Amino acid sequence: MSAHPTHPDALRADSMSKAFGGLKVFHDVSFTLPPAGLLGVIGPNGAGKTTMINIMSGRLPLSSGRVLLGNARIDGRPVYANAAQGLVRSFQHTATFAGASVGDNLTAALRFAKRDRSVLERLAPLLDRFGLIECWGRHAEVLPYGLQKMLGLTMALATQPKMLLLDEPAAGLEKSERANIDAYVGFAQREFGCGILLVEHDMDLIRRLCPQVIVLDGGRLIAAGPPGEVLSRKDVIDAYLGGADEEDCDAQHS
Amino acid sequence: MSEEAAITRLPQARRPGLLGGYEWATLCVVGLAFAVPVLTRNPQILSQTNLILIAATASLGVYIMLRMDLMSFAVPAFMATGGYTVALLSLRLGVTDAILLGVAAFVMPALCAIPLGWLILRLKGVYFVLVTFVLTEIVQLLLFEATPLTGGSNGLVGMPAVTLFGIELMDNSQVLLTTAGLAFAGFAITALFTRSFRYEFAAIEKNDVLAESLGLACWRYKALAFSVAAGVSGLAGFALVNMLLTAHPTSFAPMSSVTYITYTIVGGKGAILGTLAGAALLVTATDLFALKGELSPGLFGLLIIVVTLLARGGLIGLAAKAVGRLRRASPGAPARVAPITAVPARGMKS
Amino acid sequence: MDNVIATGLIGISLGSQYALLALGFTLIFGILGVVNFAHGGFYVMGGYVAYYCSVVLGLPFPVAVLAAAIATAALGWLFETIILERVIEDHQATLMVTMGFYLVMATAILLLFGPESPEFSFPITGVWRAGGAYVPYANMVVIGVCLAAIVSVYWLIYRSGIGRAMRAMAEDRAVASALGMRTRALFPFAFALATGLAGLTGALVTPILALAPHVGDPVLAFSFLTVILGGLGSVAGATVAAFIVGMVEAYAAVYLGGSKGALALFVLVLLILVVRPQGLLGREVRRA
Repeated sequence: MSAHPTHPDALRADSMSKAFGGLKVFHDVSFTLPPAGLLGVIGPNGAGKTTMINIMSGRLPLSSGRVLLGNARIDGRPVYANAAQGLVRSFQHTATFAGASVGDNLTAALRFAKRDRSVLERLAPLLDRFGLIECWGRHAEVLPYGLQKMLGLTMALATQPKMLLLDEPAAGLEKSERANIDAYVGFAQREFGCGILLVEHDMDLIRRLCPQVIVLDGGRLIAAGPPGEVLSRKDVIDAYLGGADEEDCDAQHS
Repeated sequence: MSEEAAITRLPQARRPGLLGGYEWATLCVVGLAFAVPVLTRNPQILSQTNLILIAATASLGVYIMLRMDLMSFAVPAFMATGGYTVALLSLRLGVTDAILLGVAAFVMPALCAIPLGWLILRLKGVYFVLVTFVLTEIVQLLLFEATPLTGGSNGLVGMPAVTLFGIELMDNSQVLLTTAGLAFAGFAITALFTRSFRYEFAAIEKNDVLAESLGLACWRYKALAFSVAAGVSGLAGFALVNMLLTAHPTSFAPMSSVTYITYTIVGGKGAILGTLAGAALLVTATDLFALKGELSPGLFGLLIIVVTLLARGGLIGLAAKAVGRLRRASPGAPARVAPITAVPARGMKS
Repeated sequence: MDNVIATGLIGISLGSQYALLALGFTLIFGILGVVNFAHGGFYVMGGYVAYYCSVVLGLPFPVAVLAAAIATAALGWLFETIILERVIEDHQATLMVTMGFYLVMATAILLLFGPESPEFSFPITGVWRAGGAYVPYANMVVIGVCLAAIVSVYWLIYRSGIGRAMRAMAEDRAVASALGMRTRALFPFAFALATGLAGLTGALVTPILALAPHVGDPVLAFSFLTVILGGLGSVAGATVAAFIVGMVEAYAAVYLGGSKGALALFVLVLLILVVRPQGLLGREVRRA
């Protein structure tokens, strides 16, 4: 596996293993996300990717191994403590506060992350692009799925994170909406200098955005490197054989 | 990414008022209670108003925790703490000033709630239900057992009358005034507290996983709310002990926790007015229909089931829906933007 | 020494009763995720049905006990299908409806049978002695039936197909549904099983202890205790905890007197929450 020089503020996973009772979810996974870096994580369903995000954000404990942010060990710390340190995750399914407007959702995000309104003002172009300013007063739960998703993602960004863990941000988005993810990632890296761990199934997105990619299969890290290289490896293709991703790739090429 | 030079403007942030509509309405209604002893000397009415106010204030202890989807059975325990503290202070130390006693009645339970909150609010929500229920049983036992302190099964009898600026508050009207004062304080504290933290409470109720991942230390707010709820319940305990001039374990029976929960649920758990509405309705109904004490649990049980299945928002929720329907303007108008309110909703909750 | 043994035997007797009660409660909690506030109500109902059948109708006691178990199971099944099923996804709502149902049950019993304790005693009297230790025959019968019931329930849960399905549902309802298990049919079954157990215990125990409309109240506090001690959703944990509680209560009653036993238990619970919140055999309890 390729080794990144360990920068003091990097997010590092060190031989992470997780098992629920007898069920091994992943085993001996190690990688480094440098500050302002962008690392893709791919792998067939069930490979443990969401569990990995749950663990790194602090929602679940590790069975063995460590997670480090800079020099501090963060596994086992509560989610809010990690968020306060700048490690924030997004959710695969829409994560917004129902019964509250778009504006209130974003205000809440600012408030909980103890940021002031200036962060929101910096996000304004992005909010405009996603169409969120138009529905500022509408309740989050009545918005179309794509808008809800982007709201959730922008709320995560409103915390002004240093490290973002994105759990399938493009899932459920129309093909036309996926460019928003490019804009989102670009903005996060440019404006906030954010490091991003991108878990995704959309291979085109991965190829476009990620300079480096790691592959999880059956709970193990089986490949790491630039996407062009990794995605043409036989063992990676085999891992996906029969998966929906093949159809996905085909559909997007046709 | 857009290349336009124009700066995108965010909609103006609205300055939220100190209190919301429901809060002001409730404080007004409670304020009206001060007028009752002026308007009438009828002991029945005075007594009923007294009971309603005590019940409503106690139920605030349930309401505050329900804002975060936590069901508290601890109200009688904290009422007892407040009530017995006041009784002890007045009987043993001769303290009779209403304001001093009121502060003690709030502070003592609030302090006791802190270690408890630390213990159970970091665990799964169901633990809160289990432990608060058991807690009320323990406190009841302690009240019976710790005879030298609490008077055991006799309780603490013969409390001196409460005084305010030297004036003794002895007769029915004055006792009602004391209760009204305590109730007003309890409601005011609750209103200010829930209003100041409405974002946090609503977020914890709706999606605490999301709130936490954005950086909110949920358990701290829960613990803080638990303390405030305990304090407000303590005020109700003071009022009760003052009305009876006795602190007795049976006033704080464990199953009465169910009664306070019923007032809140039936009245409407979504708004502070709910506890007042529920208490007013149910206390009056039990009295009006001359229901013997034995039948009211059954009635309450039926009401709880009906409300839970058919009208989750309780009375206030139904009223709000009716008003909403009447008010419905043109379709497509943006939803009324109230800062995240805990809209009572049926169905999925995590 | 004999006193210690005698007290220990009482403790085991209490423990087996508590275990049967705790089993029902934990079953519902573990499989349905429901805190059954009405558990004590089914216990009392079992007692009154048995009383009615044996004293008023004159049926033999074992028949009365069986009738009690069946009646409570049937009522539980009805309640689950008609009312509980509608709100089963919502924890707060399930607590509310079971709470409401308990109030209705208690009041109904009060209306039907009056507030006084009826004459209801165990048909077998007499005491078995061995050296200085003694156990009333009634308690021995209760221990026997309870142990038999516990073993049957264990067999059902851990060795049968239905039990496997129920345990799968406890783990992940959505997955179990997707695998084709008929969750809709299993929930009422699980609920009825648990309430039937409560009724059985009531029928057996109330003639020894006390039968009155309010004797269901402490059952709830005690069920909560065992669940906290034993670990949420852990059937084995609840059983062990029940026996511990029985022993503590017996020894405290004999050697400390009064309600000190209950106090001691509550303090024990608070300690457990500090030191080992998941209880004896429970799983992770920090909020998921």
